[in-house]
Amino acid sequence: MSQGQSLRNAAQALAGALPPVLAHAERLAATVAMGVHGRKRAGTGESFWQYRHAMPGDSAANIDWRRSAQGDALFIREREWEAAQTVAFWCDASKSMDYQGKGASLTKAMRAQVLTLALASLLTRAGERVALLETRAQAAGVGETKLQQMALALHEADFNDDYGTIPLPTARVAGHRVFLSDFMGPEDEIFPALNAHADAGGEGCLVQILDPSEETFPFDGRIIFESMGGVVDFETLRAKALRKAYQDRLAERSAKLAEWARRVGWHFTRHRTDESPRAALLWLFMAVGGQK
Amino acid sequence: MIGFLYPALLLGLLILPILWWLLRAVPPAPSRRKFPGVRLLIGLKDPESTPQHTPWWLLMLRLLAIAAAILAFAEPVLNPRTDSGGSGRLLVLMDAGWGSADDWADRQHRVDAILAGATRDGRAVSVRLLTEPLPAEGNLRFSAPQDWVPLIAGLMPAAWGPDRLGFAAWLTDNPQDYFETVWLSDGLADDAGLGGVLQGFGAVTVVTSDQNRLALLSAQLEPDGLTVPVLRSGDTGAQTVRLHAIGPAPDGVSQVLWQVEATFAAGEKQTLALFDMPLELRNRITRIEIAGVQSAGAVILADGGLQRRKVALYAPQQLQEGPQLVSPLFYLRKALAPSSELIEAGLDDLLQAAPDVLVFADVARLGRAETERVLEWVNNGGTLLRFAGPRLASGTTALDDIDPLLPVRLRAGGRSLGGAMTWASPKRLRPFPDDGPFAGLAAPDEVEIRAQVLAQPDPDLPGRVMAALEDGTPLVTGIRQGQGRIILFHVTANAEWSSLPLSGLFVDMLTRLSVSSGGGAASVDDLAGQVWMPVTVLNGFGTLQDADNIRGADGDDLASYPRNSDTPPGLYQNGEREVAINLLPTAFSLEPLTGLPFGITRDGFSQGAETPLKPVLLTLAVILLVLDILATLFVSGRLMGTCAVSVLIAGLAMGVSDAQADDASALIAANATVLAYVQTGDARQDAISHAGLYGLSQALTSRTAIEPVDPLPIDLDIDDISLIPFLYWPITELQPTLSLAAVTRVNAYLRNGGMIMFDTRDAHLGQGFGGGSANGLILQRITAQLEIPALAPIEPDHVLTRTFYLLEVFPGRWRDGTVWVEAPTHLTTIEGAPFRNLNDGVTPVVIGGNDWASAWAMSPNGRPMYPVGQGLSGDRQRELALRFGVNLIMYVMTGNYKSDQVHIPALLERLGQ
Repeated sequence: MSQGQSLRNAAQALAGALPPVLAHAERLAATVAMGVHGRKRAGTGESFWQYRHAMPGDSAANIDWRRSAQGDALFIREREWEAAQTVAFWCDASKSMDYQGKGASLTKAMRAQVLTLALASLLTRAGERVALLETRAQAAGVGETKLQQMALALHEADFNDDYGTIPLPTARVAGHRVFLSDFMGPEDEIFPALNAHADAGGEGCLVQILDPSEETFPFDGRIIFESMGGVVDFETLRAKALRKAYQDRLAERSAKLAEWARRVGWHFTRHRTDESPRAALLWLFMAVGGQK
Repeated sequence: MIGFLYPALLLGLLILPILWWLLRAVPPAPSRRKFPGVRLLIGLKDPESTPQHTPWWLLMLRLLAIAAAILAFAEPVLNPRTDSGGSGRLLVLMDAGWGSADDWADRQHRVDAILAGATRDGRAVSVRLLTEPLPAEGNLRFSAPQDWVPLIAGLMPAAWGPDRLGFAAWLTDNPQDYFETVWLSDGLADDAGLGGVLQGFGAVTVVTSDQNRLALLSAQLEPDGLTVPVLRSGDTGAQTVRLHAIGPAPDGVSQVLWQVEATFAAGEKQTLALFDMPLELRNRITRIEIAGVQSAGAVILADGGLQRRKVALYAPQQLQEGPQLVSPLFYLRKALAPSSELIEAGLDDLLQAAPDVLVFADVARLGRAETERVLEWVNNGGTLLRFAGPRLASGTTALDDIDPLLPVRLRAGGRSLGGAMTWASPKRLRPFPDDGPFAGLAAPDEVEIRAQVLAQPDPDLPGRVMAALEDGTPLVTGIRQGQGRIILFHVTANAEWSSLPLSGLFVDMLTRLSVSSGGGAASVDDLAGQVWMPVTVLNGFGTLQDADNIRGADGDDLASYPRNSDTPPGLYQNGEREVAINLLPTAFSLEPLTGLPFGITRDGFSQGAETPLKPVLLTLAVILLVLDILATLFVSGRLMGTCAVSVLIAGLAMGVSDAQADDASALIAANATVLAYVQTGDARQDAISHAGLYGLSQALTSRTAIEPVDPLPIDLDIDDISLIPFLYWPITELQPTLSLAAVTRVNAYLRNGGMIMFDTRDAHLGQGFGGGSANGLILQRITAQLEIPALAPIEPDHVLTRTFYLLEVFPGRWRDGTVWVEAPTHLTTIEGAPFRNLNDGVTPVVIGGNDWASAWAMSPNGRPMYPVGQGLSGDRQRELALRFGVNLIMYVMTGNYKSDQVHIPALLERLGQ
């Protein structure tokens, strides 16, 4: 009895919590108009994309002889890339993300989840495969069921760690990657992991989600700052005096991420939870879509 | 030495340690706060100025403030007066002369203090001023100090010096019982034995001021101006005093007419102040004083002696060239020239020059009109001085025909004395009458009168005679006429009829008649033998008061020094003449008090004065508390301390930082290609300009060989723009008109090949630029001062359309605005192609309203920042805007090179041949 009871309780709780998140994400996704399914770039697909001059190294099999026969030059017929792509999400589920500063309307984790689901929803509609790393939804899947599965996985986020650790790339993780985190963890953990992803190939997006209070640092007086898990603490006698230095360091962290992204061809943006999620979603959608 | 009125309050200082402990109270316990960004904080150091406890210096400051307040309420007194302890009678002797006037209040306070001390000690006191007349009875009047207290406030210094000699003599003649003496001396001159005499009666304390005394001596008229000797009593190194010349302004109100500075070199006790002021101003001077010194010694009064009179000489019909010495005016010129302004001209011109004195040398009879004019001038205060001569002698006519310009009626012909044909010997002068203007002058024997005109005997005649000959015939006669005078010398002004003009007496007589001035103070001769009535006299402080109760003074007394109560300095009058009698003789020096015998205690004013320290301490406490507030704010970071300091430093080093700012931008412009924009003061627009030029720079870098660095903001008031190839100038509503320096800079920039793109950003919603839109009007206002050439809408064949891309439109964020460039002025056609050869082919300005910067604007991550148009056509428009930007910069960089490209086919063709 107890087992059935608990399962039912859990299911009820789940059913109560899930719809708002998913609904919110769906609502958000609906604001982004869906146009073409195509990736708007050359790739493997059915529809014609463009002719281009054949270059050394092109396989002779690719030459479009019909077009080339019209002139002296050899042309290659490129098709639009329409292959379904896997987009793997990592939505940071550490305690650090479970932070809601004074005046903020929601935690960073909530915003990250909404963005994740909304983008996943958009991509699913476009026929892409989505996966949520480090959860039971980490196998790439497609369609509404996958979305449901992701929503459940997100809901189960346990917020155990102090700071999120970027999952290392595995053979299963391929294609596009979208990391949503505050990237507040130790630098020597973040960048090696990111580099590993860059080495593994493929593109990706980094979304640094910050609480307003993390940017403005509106503290003053004698304060002992603790990390969300209480692992790290720091005492200051006059917090206000540290504001500039803190903001410099935060800007430095963002700049490092942006620089890293620029170097390896990823995309980076910074998002504040008091901003509209639409801008971030639009940016994400464009970035994943390969448009700059 | 410091004393306290309420020493018990000093016990309050004991609370300071408690306060110390309280103020050191530990700051409040820290709050704990969860914060994900804590990792970014780790390793940050609290600024050093953030102490765990209140810093010791702040504690010190507060404790000092409280200590100062406690001390203040204990009423400390510096040099508490302890004039007491003595017994017996006390004589307070005050010099009370002009030398004491400047610090008279200090002296009164000192006397008050002495009286207070004497009251405590129950002594009998006598207060005596050495400028008072000597006591009539044989004893000094000693009485209770309280009797004297009300009198002290009413004591006044006198305008003359103390009579020490007289008092010493009186004391010697009237021996007194034992008394102690406190002598408040002015610290000047010899003690005349008084110190020794006083010591005979008891202990003597002499109180002198260590202040320097300053005095002025009588002014002298020198050729280059008015000089005033300035004296000081002690050598206190170099010293500068300011002198004011005071006189009536045209509206009659006294004011400072002129001021000069006189500087004593170190070691000098006398210096000269020179008033080189215009004559008209100088003649108005009534007094000269040392600014800031209240003393009769620091004032000199001016009389007519300081004025140079304007004397008009008139001798008609001087046509024949006679020997100089017999000219009727020669001796007058000699006598008057040193002290007067002489003018000689026709009668009309002379009257128009408004002279003080008009001298007629042997003028017979004027016409009716001229007579009336001269008479009117005399009535208005002129002095007409006439000399006789052959013409006057022969011109006199009938008995009833009265010449209004003569004081007496003359007999026709006159008379000669001592000639070959006469038996009478030349006549000498009768001594001058005591009541006349020449009283006191000696009539020298060598003056002989050989001829004269004679007055008709008349009942009025005796009253009009000023000087007469031995036999009683008048030599000088005069009457008052209106406000002026008419005076007749019955002899000629040259030596023909008498030897009077050859004598020194002639000059003296002219001086007495106020015809000439002595060029300085009234001399002994001027004053002697007359009784002078004081009109206004100086008091000790150097201010003039009416001389109501003062007797007239004998001239000889006035001429002798020092002054006393009978002859106070002031303005004196005798008949027509007014003289200024000054305090000090023309040769004088101020000497410090000497001659005091050994054994006399000397005291001073400055260190003797009781100074309550309460106000000082309270002020100190308040200042410390204000400092504490500032320091507290600083420590807690609420005072933008560093900011304020940096602003201060920036203010101090404004010039330097300007130069540095200048250098920084100039350096960038010199080292790299850079696009620049004008800072409008509107932060948003500046950001747009920056982003726009950044976007254009990126486009240029990726598409062309031009690789600009990050755009430069330009402040036209500060930055050097000479090295910048292209300046984007958006027009905003609040842009101020350019400063003069900026206008100069921009004009030089335009002349030397720079290009400015004005962007009204309003798509020319009014008609034409400046036609109606607000920004257009602002553009007109700003460019009104600039050298903008004639403009024309850009033409389809303009080189801008083909420097890189081939363009037909020049859109920015808006599409349809007209773009204006310099009008083609020298349009020539070479082989059918238009050829522009103006200003090296580059227009200095491009004016439009398409808001190009917004279209170019690119965020650092490479995305466009502002929407342009709709959909794909919008993207196309943005691309065209960028192309226009590329063309524009190409045009700026290459100048007419691109325009010459038009002719390449023709050139190649020629080369081929």
